[in-house]
Amino acid sequence: MSSAFTEIGRALPRKEDRRLVTGRGRYLDDLAVPGALHVSFVRSPHAHARILGIDSAEASEMPGVVGIFTGRDLDQLTTRLRIAPPIEGLQPTELTTLPIEKVRFHGDPVACVVATDRYLAEDAAECVTVEYDQLPAVTSIAQALAPDAVLVDETLSSNMVSHQSLCVGDPAARRAEAHRVIEARFALHRHTHVPLETRGCLADWDDGRAHLNMHIGNQVPHPLRSQLAKRLGLSESQVTVISPDVGGAFGQKIALYREELTVAALSRHLRRPLRWREDRMENLMAAAHAREYECRTRTSVSETGRILGLELELDEDFGSYCFFPANYMARVIALIMTGPYRIQDYAYEVRVALTNKCGAGPMRAPMAVTSWVMEGTIDAIARELGLDPIEVRRINALGPEDLPYKMPTGELLEDVTPRETLETAVAAIDVAAFRERQAQALCEGRYLGLGLCTVIESTTYGSEFYKSAGIPGSGHEAAWVRIEPSGAVNASVGLMGTGQGYESPLAQAVAEGLGVRSEDVTVHMGNTDVAPYGMGSRGGRGATAGGGTLYLCGLKARERVLVIAASMLDLNGAGELRMRAGQIERMIDDNWQETGLTLADVARRAYLDPLALPEGIAPGLDFSHSYDPPAMTYSNSTHACEVEVDPRTGAISIDRYLVAEDCGTVLNPIVVRGQQQGAIAMGLSGALLEQVVYDGSGQNLSATLADYLVASPNELPEFEILHHHTPNRRTPAGIKGMAEGGVMGAIGVIANAVSDALAPRGVTIERLPLTPQSIRALLREAAPSPKKRTQP
Amino acid sequence: MNASTHEPLTLSLSVNGETHDLQVPARKLLSDVLREDLGLTGTHVGCEHGVCGACTVLIDGRPARACLTFAAQMEGHEVTTIEAVGRPDALSALQQALHEEHGLQCGFCTAGIVMTFEHYLRENPTPTASEVRDVLSGNLCRCTGYQNIVAAVLKAAARMRGESV
Ligand code: FES
Ligand code: FES
Repeated sequence: MSSAFTEIGRALPRKEDRRLVTGRGRYLDDLAVPGALHVSFVRSPHAHARILGIDSAEASEMPGVVGIFTGRDLDQLTTRLRIAPPIEGLQPTELTTLPIEKVRFHGDPVACVVATDRYLAEDAAECVTVEYDQLPAVTSIAQALAPDAVLVDETLSSNMVSHQSLCVGDPAARRAEAHRVIEARFALHRHTHVPLETRGCLADWDDGRAHLNMHIGNQVPHPLRSQLAKRLGLSESQVTVISPDVGGAFGQKIALYREELTVAALSRHLRRPLRWREDRMENLMAAAHAREYECRTRTSVSETGRILGLELELDEDFGSYCFFPANYMARVIALIMTGPYRIQDYAYEVRVALTNKCGAGPMRAPMAVTSWVMEGTIDAIARELGLDPIEVRRINALGPEDLPYKMPTGELLEDVTPRETLETAVAAIDVAAFRERQAQALCEGRYLGLGLCTVIESTTYGSEFYKSAGIPGSGHEAAWVRIEPSGAVNASVGLMGTGQGYESPLAQAVAEGLGVRSEDVTVHMGNTDVAPYGMGSRGGRGATAGGGTLYLCGLKARERVLVIAASMLDLNGAGELRMRAGQIERMIDDNWQETGLTLADVARRAYLDPLALPEGIAPGLDFSHSYDPPAMTYSNSTHACEVEVDPRTGAISIDRYLVAEDCGTVLNPIVVRGQQQGAIAMGLSGALLEQVVYDGSGQNLSATLADYLVASPNELPEFEILHHHTPNRRTPAGIKGMAEGGVMGAIGVIANAVSDALAPRGVTIERLPLTPQSIRALLREAAPSPKKRTQP
Repeated sequence: MNASTHEPLTLSLSVNGETHDLQVPARKLLSDVLREDLGLTGTHVGCEHGVCGACTVLIDGRPARACLTFAAQMEGHEVTTIEAVGRPDALSALQQALHEEHGLQCGFCTAGIVMTFEHYLRENPTPTASEVRDVLSGNLCRCTGYQNIVAAVLKAAARMRGESV
């Protein structure tokens, strides 16, 4: 990393910690608004059913009830959500705010009870009677795509809401000339985000000003405001979105959900503040789900394992409603599938199916399955050809001589180091020693495995990416920096943190650009009346888009400060000045020397003595800047993990876990390390334990945290992190972005490690999660253990 | 439905050393009474079914789930919440260590973890990492992967033993 930085790269502890460790954070439910009414939703007990009637007479008479509202009522108060970007193969969809004709999944909200207190609202919700006519439920991709399938959305021609394909080069010809064609399958299961703080909102309609104040923990305050205004028929001047501290989001707090829109519309309708906090059951059943994919690869290879061509079929179970264009997440997977490897002949077919389950949304690393599919494919090649999986990686991996590299899909890789991280990880593991231990253990009937997984992580999506994807929207970010009359530095950006710890690293970006100490910068986020319109927090864009814009804005501010300083020092120009820690320094005899002038002096001049400013310089020190990152930035990493599988119980223990990661210039190593650990933990938790379960009739069977299991510290190892820092030459300060690659790598590496462990039994992992039950089921069907075979 | 659970009950609740006379329905959870009636919003609610540990408070000095407790059961008991442990400008040893070791991200789980270990470290001044992991398994954290929390607890324990770390 460039040592020229003084603030970027500092291990500055997090600014938000003091309030959070003492219980003084302010999360949504901590905001007290006297007289606020509470909301509870009546939800469908069926996966798929027509709504014949809703009887709320009894419930309306119950204590504290102010009103009960249905889909028909909300249709008067809000507009519908139409998703119809001009993308070939994507069917347009339209949603009412609450269902009117039929419910599409177990947990679908059908009515909204407003009462004076949450307990009373829930009492009344239980007494609302809905008459249903049940319909057959579509609960799998196969069912959804069957020719005679019941339609989840009757306005569509089929349940295949999106279908795209691409063929680059000539994969069929490569297949014909290949030494072998190797097929592999991967089924990733349905996950959900489980932020520890569930969704919720507090809508406070100001009737006098005809203005909605919407308090809501959300990753993208400005896009959310646009949505809210549009769906309520208000102007963007009439809505303020205010995001308080947020207890995690992981992609679940991006969309404007139907419940939130309902609460906003009813606050306006009733002219009262209204609040809603979903309970955990609602969160697990009805917030958003993710990651349910079935993938097949067909790889044409040479005798040495060199990949000649790759063909991918990818099907996604999208659930019942589209809150995002249905091609959006699967497309990125197909786009970056070849990732760290030299592959030019490539074809994909991607199908997205609607089913009677909760709608899918982006979850930390929406493209997470990519690395498992690609790296599992590499392992399949090694297995089928009897080659060393590390060698197969080596001969296919992109090295420095291949860069910049255009993937077959047109995606450009620059300043990435997949071969280097592979070698770092392999060296750290000492593979030879592991293989010895593994062989020894096998003699004792113990199954050890080593997995590897190299990741190319798409982090920052610029406007150019969205344009080429056909999705309207921008990838830019916006910031302002203000130096106040006292010299205090305030800044703002359109991002909204949901626990990542933005306050220190973003202050560092400003401080580096401006020339002050990070401790002296305060970054304000989450209030749309304060922050500039930016695209918010999603993917790994926070550092590149947010940090990058703030850094550039800081540079802009510094330039002006130095011009004023030069005039105060009676110099002709600012060329020989700089600012460090708020002190103006001058280059004299090849040395930086203090001038005695400070940022506070300059600020005083700018605000309180503006007539003394140099000609053409306006009063004040107020700067704004917007920045649009390259089409895409990439970080990369290689994960390695050693496991032991207990064949009797199916339990998996992780003996060692390491990752070599290259995420370019790091704003704050403390925060980055936390994100690396958290992402790996989320990936492992998902691969080992978590699973949204629907039965054949579409009933959700995983609606408590005792059923939907999230990893505790007992299931997770210590993570060793090895660093590479290759700056991106196209972004401000060389920042690349990160925080999702850990999920991608963890899912792939654990699956590969378990496959390696169980190879002596002929077991290959093709389906996650790796619960003890699923491992036991595989072993029951597998070849007998080599040890047993020798027994009489 | 039992109407009597709706009727306000007169309670005398001792929280963080102060006594509060309250009128709350018998069915109201301790977590909700702390947060809504007493304004002690540092106790968080993550699941309301006893799994996540975010709502952990001390009842008579021992960790307990405020979401599985009715406020009405608390008469004659002493409840301690995060508000009684340190302040932003005067952190406890554990809070300071969590800050230094980056043992929190969103912070929603943190109060529960602090309460769990404020108690545990008093009774177990020399825990091992695996013992800390065991105790911590009652508190769900979705953000951190736990590694830094474990490091923070060990660091706090060492400092509380008077070691300079
Ligand atoms: S809120 Fe009490 S244990 Fe989760
Ligand atoms: S810090 Fe977010 S849940 Fe623990």
